[in-house]
Amino acid sequence: MRADPSFWAETGQLVRAVGRALGVTFRNFVRRPVTVQYPTVKRVYPDRFRGILALAYDTDTGEEACIGCRLCEFICPPQVIKVEMLKAEKRNFAKTFTLELYSCEFCELCVQVCPTDAIIMLKTFDLATADRRALLLDKDRLHALGLEHEPSWATGNRLRDMQAPPKPAKVEARAEAKSGGKAEAKEPTE
Amino acid sequence: MMPPYLQHLITGFIVLNVVIGLVTYVTLLERKFAARLQSRIGPYYVGRPHGWLQPIADALKLMMKEDIVPAAADRWVYNLAPIAFLVPCVLIFATLPFAPGLGVADLNIGVLFFLAVSSLEIVGLFMGGWGSNNKYALLSAMRAVNQIISYDLPFVFAALVPVVLAGSLQMSAIVEFQQGLFGWNVFSVLGLLAFVAFLIATLAAENRVPFDILEAESELVAGFRVEYSGMKFALIQLGEYAHMIGTSFLGALLFLGGWLGPGPAWLGPLWFLLKAMLVFLVVTWVRWSFVRIRVDQILAISWKLLLPATLLLLMATALVVAIQGPRAG
Repeated sequence: MRADPSFWAETGQLVRAVGRALGVTFRNFVRRPVTVQYPTVKRVYPDRFRGILALAYDTDTGEEACIGCRLCEFICPPQVIKVEMLKAEKRNFAKTFTLELYSCEFCELCVQVCPTDAIIMLKTFDLATADRRALLLDKDRLHALGLEHEPSWATGNRLRDMQAPPKPAKVEARAEAKSGGKAEAKEPTE
Repeated sequence: MMPPYLQHLITGFIVLNVVIGLVTYVTLLERKFAARLQSRIGPYYVGRPHGWLQPIADALKLMMKEDIVPAAADRWVYNLAPIAFLVPCVLIFATLPFAPGLGVADLNIGVLFFLAVSSLEIVGLFMGGWGSNNKYALLSAMRAVNQIISYDLPFVFAALVPVVLAGSLQMSAIVEFQQGLFGWNVFSVLGLLAFVAFLIATLAAENRVPFDILEAESELVAGFRVEYSGMKFALIQLGEYAHMIGTSFLGALLFLGGWLGPGPAWLGPLWFLLKAMLVFLVVTWVRWSFVRIRVDQILAISWKLLLPATLLLLMATALVVAIQGPRAG
């Protein structure tokens, strides 16, 4: 073994490193555990939480909000939604509405396109089940889920409002003076 | 009056059961402590609050597990290995006195007996690795032999420092020697250095992180006990923890003054237990703070650093005792 002049320096470094490693774990020891005991304690979910999907009722009339327009079916990337429309006199309804939650990727696109705020996401991720078939949701189950859990903030109309381009007051004033259509008024902003 | 053999049988039976109960609950202690070191809670739901029934549940689970013997295993060796491993690990408690006169046998060569028997576990360990007829198990067993033989020498030399200071191999005599305020061996310079060396060698002898290459989970799965299941696995686990606890008791006895402590005499065993748990927790603390080191690094630490250091320490202790008498430290 060659006589290393920095032997003591190296040893000192080693001892300090050992002390630092022990110190890190000791700080954790005196700290409160960060564990959240999930089923009994639930942390507050963020407003835009994207959890299980559900169908909502119309808040004014109390009817089912879905009009069976199939927009969600068309936009769904993994194609897990299947809707059939039921024609009626005043408005249309969904005859069937199935959602294969086990293949859902929770992208929220269906919520974004929904014209009547019918399909929403819930603030829960509790979809563990012993049977895969329990995750094949039909219309009744989706409505029941919507009443069971707290809905997330996002609905189709809110999201569209949020994403609409801002309308500067000047442009609107000019458009009104010209008494032009809305499409023309929007053009300069783009 | 009972015949002496019956008396020994009864004390042996009691000590064995106390040890097994203690070992079972030490697993819970370790899990809770490790969890806190990582800012977790640890076992909680089995026996609320804080999972005090968890060890019982674990034991029941292990009893109900299927006992599998690999088709290609050397059945005789394979089945005998857990027992050959467990017996020395439990036998080390035979010489440990838990208070003056409280223990199975306070031999006048107690420390020697302890050191000799505790290194016997390697036989059972290698039998397990060999009998499993599994590459990983065999590899692990060979690493274990390599490592335990390397670290037995520093372990023995470190343990001999208090022996030289006290001038006796009898455990109760070593404790008696440490009486008085700051009389514990750890409060003297030589004793402190020996204690540090003892702790490092203990880590290696118990195959704990950072010296756990023999059960390196990422490469050897579970080491030499990879093929064991059910009660045989439980026996091996029991032996490992018994060895760990026994070594912690030895450390507390040699360096921390054993059952000495304030309060009436009947508090002695509790003090002893407390100190042993302290040693155990320090070892666990190190385990959860470091990463595994390589085989060559392990051997280098043993042969190039720890062995010469402890040897020097032992010689220095002998010199000091020879010049100034035993009380010098």
